[in-house]
Amino acid sequence: MLSRVADSLYWMSRYLERTDGILRMLKINYASSQDDIQEFSWKPVLRTFTYLDEERANAISRHSREVLQYMITDKENANSVLNIITHARESARSVQDHITKELWQCLNDFYHTVRDERIVRELYKDDPVTILDILIRQGLLYYGTMDVTMSRGEGYSFINIGKFLERGVQSADILDVKFRDVNYDFKKTDTTYWKYLLLSISGYELYLKTYRGGFDARNVLEQIVLNGDFPRSVIYSVNHLHSSFQRIKSERNAESFKKIDFMIGKVRSKVKFSTVEAIMQQGLHAYFNGIKEDLYEVGNALNQNYFAYI
Amino acid sequence: MQTNELLNSYYVDPNTWDEMYRELFVREQYKGVVDFMQQMNIDELNKKEELAKRLFMSQGITFTVYSSGEGIEKIFPFDIIPRIITAAEWKYIEDGIRQRLKALNLFLKDVYNSQFILKDGIVPIEMIHSCPHYLREMHGFHVPHDIYVHIAGIDLIRNNDGSFYILEDNLRTPSGVSYMLENREITKRIFPDLLPRNNVRSVIEYPNILHKNLVSLSPRQTANPTIVLLTPGIYNSAYFEHTTLARLMGVELVEGRDLVVDNHRVFMKTTAGLQQVDVIYRRVDDDFLDPLVFNPDSMLGVAGIMSAYRKGNVAIVNAIGNGVADDKAIYTYVPDMIRYYLNEEPILKNVPTYQLGGEDERKYVFANMNKMVVKKTNESGGYGMLMGHTATEEEIARYQSEILKDPRQYIAQPIISLSTAPCYMNGKLQPRRVDLRPYALCGPEGIQIVPGGLTRVALREGSLVVNSSQGGGSKDTWVLAT
Repeated sequence: MLSRVADSLYWMSRYLERTDGILRMLKINYASSQDDIQEFSWKPVLRTFTYLDEERANAISRHSREVLQYMITDKENANSVLNIITHARESARSVQDHITKELWQCLNDFYHTVRDERIVRELYKDDPVTILDILIRQGLLYYGTMDVTMSRGEGYSFINIGKFLERGVQSADILDVKFRDVNYDFKKTDTTYWKYLLLSISGYELYLKTYRGGFDARNVLEQIVLNGDFPRSVIYSVNHLHSSFQRIKSERNAESFKKIDFMIGKVRSKVKFSTVEAIMQQGLHAYFNGIKEDLYEVGNALNQNYFAYI
Repeated sequence: MQTNELLNSYYVDPNTWDEMYRELFVREQYKGVVDFMQQMNIDELNKKEELAKRLFMSQGITFTVYSSGEGIEKIFPFDIIPRIITAAEWKYIEDGIRQRLKALNLFLKDVYNSQFILKDGIVPIEMIHSCPHYLREMHGFHVPHDIYVHIAGIDLIRNNDGSFYILEDNLRTPSGVSYMLENREITKRIFPDLLPRNNVRSVIEYPNILHKNLVSLSPRQTANPTIVLLTPGIYNSAYFEHTTLARLMGVELVEGRDLVVDNHRVFMKTTAGLQQVDVIYRRVDDDFLDPLVFNPDSMLGVAGIMSAYRKGNVAIVNAIGNGVADDKAIYTYVPDMIRYYLNEEPILKNVPTYQLGGEDERKYVFANMNKMVVKKTNESGGYGMLMGHTATEEEIARYQSEILKDPRQYIAQPIISLSTAPCYMNGKLQPRRVDLRPYALCGPEGIQIVPGGLTRVALREGSLVVNSSQGGGSKDTWVLAT
């Protein structure tokens, strides 16, 4: 497979994973903002997903509509859904012969949907959840189309590598920001705070089934980092990153493979063999940061060893 | 019924050949479609038109216009009424194109090798040496199977008596074939069952034939040669076509930066290291192919590709330097080439063409500017063209002084009034001028022409310019089996 093609597929996939994360985050935070809990602020979201400076973030952090508009349709925001989807489509466009026609059409439709002027209008005037649902459904269509139509070749592996790398980074990021927001205070017992966090990453039902007796920050941490059955957990992402990468093993590029396999194995062990206690001992911020750094390193190594074409 | 009005308002210019009507009677080949249309009302037809637009949009069959830093998606206008060609007309066209291509291929081989045709004085030597597309880099080099033109898109038009004329031979990187294929797919969606009921021949074989030909050109004797389609990239207006063809043939779509030349061999950069490339179907112009040999500023090409080509380590399709055969001034000599190489009379006629390099001809043309269309010999896409019958005195004067600076670069042709075909516009059928571009494929086993082509339409009323860059649209083109 061409290096450029692998690169584009990888980024297409990362962009869509990011879009999905952002949209879910927005939907639940919006719902949370309507619940009128005294301290609700958009700042953690803005800090995770945008490059806004402190001042501007403060200025809009209590205006849901403005945040939604900025996060979804703002052209100036490099990480707005509009911009990310445009990038994803450009990536897909340059590798149309490596994805199925259905997948391309699905992405193309997503692009036209998010560019539709009605979206902007209704975000301001109407029920934003309707709009968010429309966009989230476009993303789900993408995942479904990918699953049903794409052949399980090298391209599919690079798509999955991008997807799980991005997801791992995001989960670590969300936890880091959410805990920082409460000053890493595990005693904080405001249950709605954790409930909305879990809802935003579709982990609420699983939490209720796993743990009895209300919301406890330790349990939240355990589920999002260490539960191998939870598809948004760090360990799940890293495990799948590992198995997707195994699939591109080839005689012809053995050295590069070995190098990156080692890196992924290292971060995998780091997550796999840790416990809530150990993480707390190390300090949450340092732990999450370490994982993010390791994953970024994997990304860089992929870039050098598999995608370099210029 | 409403739709009868739709047909009754169709006004045919008596001095023009109309594809559908002949003295107020519907021609036999259009009866199936006209009957079908009459069963529908305007609302239904509008819905069909709407559906066609939506299909183009959601399939991304679009080109992007960049303005104020933002891309706007546009679709090439598509008219829902097919253009229909009878079996007899097609037979004639097919024979004509086959004959013409045979001669053009022989001409290219000759002009880059022995140059008999120049020595025998059939084509003047200065015509060749003044042609910017004549490349000395190609001299004395044998291309595989002696095929220079693997893919040709030859433009045909019809005069007011219905006879076909060749307007242009596109022998470099003719585009538009994806529209032939996609327009047909759209027709299948908007007019279910209409195609089989009318005995329309299929165009679906095109990518398979092309792929088979490309495989046969591989210099390495391997069961599975590496074939790539070289595109200038996503900002090229024909990018959609490049992806479509690569997908339909299952070949790798590459950009210049994906390729590298090492020891006179071309490789592509893959996730598993370098992989040798055997055949390149390039959609990059000659001038941009190799910065070491041609335009040194080119970012689209591959440094060293020309040396690999000349060593015979890679096949390039179409051959480099074909521009000398489809130059608008050389065009005049194609009928002579047919007589010279094949000893046959040309089947398809040329449009009479005046070389403005010759003094007598130039005088004649200048005196009759309002009946002429003047073109630059090395431009395409309808650029740098003057339509004498609509131009103002001032425009003509300005253009004439341009011509005098370098007369060799201009030709003039009498204005041919192109045939008209019905288009569905604003709830009415209206006649619009059309041309026809069939696509011919030459392989070691001969010339194959897929029964169909691209019909381009001048959408403005009365306009004679069908180029898409000048506001033209297209139609599905039907060739009937019986």
